[in-house]
Amino acid sequence: MMSSWPWGLAAWVAPQWVASLVEWLYKYLPAWVTNNLTATDATTFLVWPLIQIAVMLVVVLTTVAYLTLAERKVSAWIQVRIGPNRTGPLGLLQPVADGIKLLIKEDVIPFKADKAVFTLAPIISMVCAFIVLAVLPYGPHYASITDINIGLLLILSISSVGVLGIILGGWASNSKYPLLGALRSSAQMVSYEAAIGLTVVSALIFTRTFSMQGIVEAQRSLGVWFILFLFPSFIIFLVSVVAETNRAPFDLAEAESELVGGFHTEYSGFRFSIFFIAEYTNMVVVSAVGTTLYLGGWYVPGMDAIAAQFPEAYREVVLTLIGVIAFAIKCGIILYLFIWMRWTFPRYRYDQLMELGWKWLMPAALANIVLTATAFVIGKELGWVRSVSGTLEMDWQGKVFFTVTGFLSTFPILALLNAINRNSRSFNLRAQRTTIPVSTRKARLSPSVKPAST
Amino acid sequence: MLLVGWEAVFFWILTLVVLFAAVFTVSARNPVHCALFLISTLIGMAGLFLLLRAEFVAGAQILVYVGGILVLFLFVLMLVNTRSEVENPFNRQNKLGAVIAVLVGLALLGATTYTQQRGSFFKTRPSADRMAIENARPDSNAPAGVISADTETLGVTLYTRAVLPFEIASVLLLMAIVGSVLLARDRRQEEIYD
Repeated sequence: MMSSWPWGLAAWVAPQWVASLVEWLYKYLPAWVTNNLTATDATTFLVWPLIQIAVMLVVVLTTVAYLTLAERKVSAWIQVRIGPNRTGPLGLLQPVADGIKLLIKEDVIPFKADKAVFTLAPIISMVCAFIVLAVLPYGPHYASITDINIGLLLILSISSVGVLGIILGGWASNSKYPLLGALRSSAQMVSYEAAIGLTVVSALIFTRTFSMQGIVEAQRSLGVWFILFLFPSFIIFLVSVVAETNRAPFDLAEAESELVGGFHTEYSGFRFSIFFIAEYTNMVVVSAVGTTLYLGGWYVPGMDAIAAQFPEAYREVVLTLIGVIAFAIKCGIILYLFIWMRWTFPRYRYDQLMELGWKWLMPAALANIVLTATAFVIGKELGWVRSVSGTLEMDWQGKVFFTVTGFLSTFPILALLNAINRNSRSFNLRAQRTTIPVSTRKARLSPSVKPAST
Repeated sequence: MLLVGWEAVFFWILTLVVLFAAVFTVSARNPVHCALFLISTLIGMAGLFLLLRAEFVAGAQILVYVGGILVLFLFVLMLVNTRSEVENPFNRQNKLGAVIAVLVGLALLGATTYTQQRGSFFKTRPSADRMAIENARPDSNAPAGVISADTETLGVTLYTRAVLPFEIASVLLLMAIVGSVLLARDRRQEEIYD
């Protein structure tokens, strides 16, 4: 059962020009360095990863900064106005202006706040948001920093550790509203993490590996994006992930009109910008995870055909380029969905939010696992999907079968949700009308409406 | 097993981090600081698991222990007023505590060296299931950190050879969840809500 891994190991070998550069540099280094560290080791583990990390950090930080601008512009267009357009052409220097403003603000620490934890909390948030970027598959070959065996598990774990930054930030502020906001935020994030974990399991049935590049390669070898097989799972994932990152419509804990500012009320200046960057990086990370699992990652059908047009030496570069651009576009689509949802839906009340997480999304995710696994086993019995030396093979009948079962599984899931929630109060709108006692009601209800019994 | 090269460096760094964080966990004055040091201990332990090529356990340790259990610890610590503990620490039993700690430490040390030399305390013949579980260990000659099929092996063994203990453990957890909800019930609040 130990499968061979035909892919992935070449993903972290440095290109030749880096290796020759390091070898040339080694002539000028002292002996105590060259004796203990060979040139190839230094390239593979030191120089090339540092180059990749530097490139990735620059790209991601710029993306995060311009994501704030994109949010303001897109929200403005949705509300029929123009966003920032004074700072630079089309407002393109707005993130720079915001950054400078936050940097030169006074650093205030509340009275009797625990200074060490107050400083540590935003750092934990930001570090956990950024560590995850190391395992994301930005493209084939050398366009991802590393590809570890448990990539997806690591992403889920580190997102869970990121919740700690919020709790500690709220507690260390030594103030009522941040503490309440922090506890609410973190309870919400923990609830939706359960739904995310379970949803991801049903995707893992097809990918059979936790490694992120392996997931993309699984979709590439089948020639299909998993959103076709796992449509209800994608919907659950999308909703859970919006709630996980505390974005509207699930942002009660940090909305401006509730709880002042939630857990980051007492943070000003640069510390606030660290929390802000951490939140937007979390958004980028979860859209990258969604892209990898459901939208095919860097794989576009027809990639190999396009790359075959080019001469042999350029094929790798062309593939990498197409892959990275495809990944960026898909991430951008999901990020646009985030921004769009913020200004489309009204905010959820906190108890409605928790009910959605525990009573709607988690049972739906569990039912989805059962139904997907059943469909997979049926497909295996009928011979439409086979496991050949560790990889899945599927002909067009298998793909049609799984697409059909994917879409048909929404009905049992909806039936289950109806059965669970049918008698709950907020599901039943008519029952909510009797919160006002009958004697104080001025208007008469129309005859067809029967008030439910209290 | 003698560690060489970078593995030894990582091992010693992680071990020192784990040990110092564990000492500070029990000796810090503020309970929230204790929880933070416990988090450092556990993340260091996860690193040690990675060095032992048990990748899934490392990921699961962070996901479950740090991300779930310690988050709940912090919830409780923040809702409970711990000022009195911080301002009036009670440590009049230092000498007795030191004696007991030394005795327990010697006992642990003795037990570890004894079992390492002799293999086990009692002589037993393991069942076929037990042998299969033992043989599903990762290949210790492989260098740590390469892509391996650890999760797959663990999953396969857990669901074919160790299904009954697995299911019993999950039923036990379910009982614990239901029991805690039952213990924390507030009848009046439920009636108001209904």
